[in-house]
Amino acid sequence: MARLQLDNVSVEYPIYNASSMSLRNQLVAISTGGRMAQEAGNIVTVRALDDVTLSLKDGDRIGLLGHNGSGKTTLLRTMAGIFKPTKGRVVVEGHVSAIFGLGAGIDPELSGHENIIRMSMLLGSTLAEAKARIPEIEDFTELGNFLALPVRTFSAGMQTRLTFAVATAAHPEILLVDEVIGAGDAEFQAKARKRMNEFIEKSSVFVLASHSRELIRTFCNKVCTLEHGRLISEGSTP
Amino acid sequence: MGGNDLMETGLFDLKEAVKRLPVAIYFAWSDTRARYKRSVLGPFWLVLSTMVGVVGLGVIWSVLLKVDRQEFIPSLTIGLIVWGMISGCIAESAAVFYRQAAQIKDINLPSFFLSLQLVLRQLINFGHNILVFIVVMAIYPEHVSLADFLAIPGLILVIFNLLWLAQILGYIGARFRDLEPLIVAFLPILFFLSPVVYRASQLGPLQSIMAFNPLTYWIGLVRDPLLGVIPTPGTYILAVATTVVGWAAALWLTGSRRHRLPYWI
Repeated sequence: MARLQLDNVSVEYPIYNASSMSLRNQLVAISTGGRMAQEAGNIVTVRALDDVTLSLKDGDRIGLLGHNGSGKTTLLRTMAGIFKPTKGRVVVEGHVSAIFGLGAGIDPELSGHENIIRMSMLLGSTLAEAKARIPEIEDFTELGNFLALPVRTFSAGMQTRLTFAVATAAHPEILLVDEVIGAGDAEFQAKARKRMNEFIEKSSVFVLASHSRELIRTFCNKVCTLEHGRLISEGSTP
Repeated sequence: MGGNDLMETGLFDLKEAVKRLPVAIYFAWSDTRARYKRSVLGPFWLVLSTMVGVVGLGVIWSVLLKVDRQEFIPSLTIGLIVWGMISGCIAESAAVFYRQAAQIKDINLPSFFLSLQLVLRQLINFGHNILVFIVVMAIYPEHVSLADFLAIPGLILVIFNLLWLAQILGYIGARFRDLEPLIVAFLPILFFLSPVVYRASQLGPLQSIMAFNPLTYWIGLVRDPLLGVIPTPGTYILAVATTVVGWAAALWLTGSRRHRLPYWI
């Protein structure tokens, strides 16, 4: 039984520009105090999420819609526990896995096989589990002998196949995805959708941030719309 | 949050990292292999460069400092190898978090996991370099004794110290980007302020200055037993003291700043 609950969650980002990032300004601030300190410590904060309340339970497949910068990715990162809310609280029951940018842990000099192990281990599997997944991933990506070559020799499409296959090989209870399908040729797109479907089916709670209403209609049964960090609407998929 | 809560958050981060120790070891190995993937000598380039350093510096300094080579070269060799591990950690530590921004922003990883990886990579380099010392010991076997085994607990103490150091410098470096160039600028001077080429005892009246440099104890803990000298209890006490104080600071910093880290990088 998985559950993901957000109560009045707000997230504020500090934006560090060059001057507040520099040690010199901090030292100047210490030595002069007063007005300078105020200038040096002038850190702009951006409210990325504003009083969001959301309750997700087993069987929920949520699509997040919204313009660029409306807070979709911040919301996902907060759900994943990467960002701590400045106000409100997040309650998580169940193992969470988040897929943001694909390919964390990838090293272009190493072979496809070794990178499968690296990426899987970073996503939480043991060495044995990671190794056991290789045949299945080999099969799905159809990369065959190419997997023995360094990843740097792969085309962009081949890399997408690899990273997508690894990211979708484990089956978490709560799955958070930030728009990842979209690269690769048409034939691979169809395969990716099918795999995505199986992947989602095995999860209890699924959240997808995307600009594509069509994608959200395919995979989700609920839609939430964000605007300037606020949740402005919540309902079933049109 | 109170002080105890901060320590608890810091400990939680550490515990999560220790759970991922096999992953950190795998990454340290595979990063090392990736770095030397297409070179013929691979990590043995490190060994070669240490060897060149030992022969070059050993010959020149033994003449300049008018010391006996048989005494000086083993001491210089192990000094340079331990210095290599410590300085490697210090040099890379400021960037340890922000070079891996994707891993912190996209995966909910404990921050200690990344500093652990850094120390493990340096330990792998150390393991390669120690071959040079074995060769030197074969040439000058006078120093081989049972005291050599004391270098192992010494090395473990040094590793624990490097972990807190990397963690603290990593946090400060992620927030203040000046730290990395600052460290690069001061490392050479730190080299001469640490007893690598010379022994603290050779400084005469200036010896007391060395007492303020923790690197003196850390290097001594590994080097002295290998040269047949048992480190003084004082060296152990001070090294344990830096470990305790350093870890308390690292855990507190982690506890209080872990949630800010994703915004800094």
